[in-house]
Amino acid sequence: MMHQTIKRDGVETIGNPHLSLEGINKKYGLVEVISNLNLEVRKGELIALLGPSGCGKTTTLRMIAGLIAPSAGKIAVGGRDVTHIAPHGRDMGLVFQSYALFPHMTVAKNVAFGLEMRGLSRADIANKVAKALSMVQLEHLAERKPRELSGGQQQRVALARALVIEPSILLLDEPLSNLDAKLRDEMRTQIRDIQQQLGITTVFVTHDQVEALSMCDRIVVMKGGLIEQVGTPHEIYERPATPFVASFVGRTNRVKGKRTADGCIRIGSSMIRSATPAGQDDVVVMVRPHRIHIDWNATSTEQDETANRTAAVLSRITFIGDVIQYHFDVDGSEFIVEESTKKSQSSHRHGDKAVLSWSVEDTLVFGADQ
Amino acid sequence: MEDNPTSWFMRITVTILFLFLLAPVLLVFPISFSGDQILAFPPSSWSLRWYEALLGNNVMMSAFLTSLGLASVVTVLSLIIAIPASYAIVRLKVTGSEFLFNLFTAPLLLPTIVLGLAILIIFASMGLLATFTGLVIGHLVITLPYALRVLSVSLGNLSLACEEAASSLGAKPLAVFGKVTLPMMAPGIVAATALCFLVSFDEVVITLFLTGPRMTTLPVELFHHVESQADPLVASVSVLLILMTLAVVMIVDRTMGLTKAMASGRAVSMSTVADAT
Amino acid sequence: MTTATFDMPVGAQKPSSTAGIAVALLLPIALVNAIGFILPVFNLARMSFNEALPGGGIAEAFTAANWTGLLQDSFYIELILNSIMVSLGITLATLLVSYPIALYLHRASGAWRTFLTVLVISPLLTSAVVRTYGWIALLAEQGPVANVIASMGFQPPRMMFNTTGVVIGLTEILMPYMILSLMAGFGRLDPKVEEAARTLGATPFRTFWRVILPLTLPGIALGCLLCFVLSISSFITPKLMGGGRVFLLATEIYDQAIVTLNWPLAATLSMLVLIIFGAALAVYSRVLRMIEG
Repeated sequence: MMHQTIKRDGVETIGNPHLSLEGINKKYGLVEVISNLNLEVRKGELIALLGPSGCGKTTTLRMIAGLIAPSAGKIAVGGRDVTHIAPHGRDMGLVFQSYALFPHMTVAKNVAFGLEMRGLSRADIANKVAKALSMVQLEHLAERKPRELSGGQQQRVALARALVIEPSILLLDEPLSNLDAKLRDEMRTQIRDIQQQLGITTVFVTHDQVEALSMCDRIVVMKGGLIEQVGTPHEIYERPATPFVASFVGRTNRVKGKRTADGCIRIGSSMIRSATPAGQDDVVVMVRPHRIHIDWNATSTEQDETANRTAAVLSRITFIGDVIQYHFDVDGSEFIVEESTKKSQSSHRHGDKAVLSWSVEDTLVFGADQ
Repeated sequence: MEDNPTSWFMRITVTILFLFLLAPVLLVFPISFSGDQILAFPPSSWSLRWYEALLGNNVMMSAFLTSLGLASVVTVLSLIIAIPASYAIVRLKVTGSEFLFNLFTAPLLLPTIVLGLAILIIFASMGLLATFTGLVIGHLVITLPYALRVLSVSLGNLSLACEEAASSLGAKPLAVFGKVTLPMMAPGIVAATALCFLVSFDEVVITLFLTGPRMTTLPVELFHHVESQADPLVASVSVLLILMTLAVVMIVDRTMGLTKAMASGRAVSMSTVADAT
Repeated sequence: MTTATFDMPVGAQKPSSTAGIAVALLLPIALVNAIGFILPVFNLARMSFNEALPGGGIAEAFTAANWTGLLQDSFYIELILNSIMVSLGITLATLLVSYPIALYLHRASGAWRTFLTVLVISPLLTSAVVRTYGWIALLAEQGPVANVIASMGFQPPRMMFNTTGVVIGLTEILMPYMILSLMAGFGRLDPKVEEAARTLGATPFRTFWRVILPLTLPGIALGCLLCFVLSISSFITPKLMGGGRVFLLATEIYDQAIVTLNWPLAATLSMLVLIIFGAALAVYSRVLRMIEG
């Protein structure tokens, strides 16, 4: 379970976490959907729970909110154990994937709801609601009903409703997944700006790696109820701890190889080197497609200390607009290489020979059974 | 297809069949304005005498008031009883909730003639015959299944997210129910109200077993009247009954729109085996 | 039951408290159900084994005399068979007059369809007493129907106070149920299937017989079940239109219970109705299996 600790190299240990999950376990009958999950979140941090559907990220979020009781483990906020506190006593702002706006209330009433539950005076409520709505630029729609709003507007109302109660933690459950692509980009920036401005500790559930990479301070990659890796976006991308992380975050080539006696790795007839040690004989080698350089004219595949080189034969070209993908055959293994497209594309064809080279640093090696 | 002879054949057939379906109800209106002493169609003269006779008929008028009061009490009680029950079954998902739902809606599967007799025998031993309490309980037996069914569907169709959002915003369970769940159930509650009122107001068979000379309802009085003399007075009472129904339907239409009411009305009428005959 | 709290939020997770609340919420409906349904129905079943004394008295007993007496009495055997035959006849008649409407409604669309559906449902909202009264007016000796028949030069048959009147009245009263059941079953009848059959050269009649009818059989089965059980237990229309001259199960139950005060016999007849219900349901599920299989 080495991936469950956040005390890896390059990540400072959190002295006084604002939110901590200790040994969280969730079972439905005999099926364990979350196993021994440990996580600490700093005050003011925006952390993403990233993973494919069914990985347990939403279950984890709902346990933090108190909507589901964990089968075992402890959840603490600011040092206070909230494991057995009902959702209404937890002081958390929750934004749902479906927004969950109250259809029978106006926008203003929706936002005021949490404040009314806290027994604030009418004047205070009106004041705070106005502020919250101006923060999401919806003052002019205060008297509308949710059904009269667009998806993006509903999303912002949900955000204002969750933030107006000044929660100790903001929980976002796939908040952008129902928006169209353009709006999603806008909302990413807006949510990040508001989060920074308020300095609010935020847990963000998403299956979209771009959202996680672009918005968050740290990312928790989950799979099958387990944490695969916790780290900054940069760490997750550049130093994935597992093959799953490497292939889930960003695109990657995945080739089987064998470790030889001198520490090199044999792929077909090519020998390559990597900076990461892997203890096993059977290994998986991963290289990001855009980190590979194609030399169409070179013939030498001489290795040096910093670069791996291998001869390859072009088998297919796929044009995807801003990127062009070259599919190469390297001794029976497929390598995909991506290059930015230019206006005048040199024409290469099926069967063309080339030499692929990439930095030893960019060569990720994992044990084959991982 | 417009000039297709079969399609013309079809249209004529359907028109005739619709006439067959609607004739008895439509006929009641002209008969109620009959000036004749006895039932005849078409009437030989027109008048309002049977409406005057209705207003002057103390038995009918007091039966009408009893029906009105009974249906109102039964409707209110049905909601008070069925709303918590639907919440327990749909939201709390108690053990065996499906069994309980089937048990509580089972009275609709029994023919009313059998249910009426069964209730008669029990109520006779409890002294509940020809009492308002007896009628209320008897009607609840068949309005509650309708109410429970409509309300459970309505509650089941609500996403839990809104209730979860409310509780995460600090609302205690009772506040969540009162401020979020209940208002969101409004269309279901309106449908259940209308349905319970109409079922209770129109109920004949079970009520026949439970009423007596001391305490009778309008449909039962109407039944006895038709049994002894089918004069045009029945038509004027029928028009009154139809107008009541129409009023309820219009209120529902105003409150939640025709399509929604139609949808739930259809679901309900499909699921019933009781009441019509 | 400690794991029965699947997705219950924290705080509602103590099984004891959830169960307590649930019991409190379900108590009123359970009470009405017990007093108005369970107890009466079990009591009714028990009653059918009691002994009826002359003059309306009842002796607590456990005798099958009501049952054996019923099945040996030719009057009751005829009554039962007659009820079943009349109900089957009504069911068939209802199917024949409802099918064209249902098919037409299935093909209609938009506001026209909504309007026609409201017309179909509206009689359901009208008391059976009122509709039966309408039929009494229509079928009376000097009534409009008799007049029309007479004007065509025929001797109008007697249509009141006999089985004919009961069949006509109940057929009309059960039509909405049949139409709605048929429409529910018509779901898988895609107009394109019909077009496909027509383009393959089938005549309208063959299309109906070979394509439409088989596809709509489940709806027909459902509607027939519903109409059969409704008609065999119907009381208002046979009572009012039979004028005491048509003897069917439901009217006999009422007469025995209210007029003769022979509750054990009424209870036995009621149980018999329930047994016929069960048999109808069994036939229905067999037919459905045959259609689907």
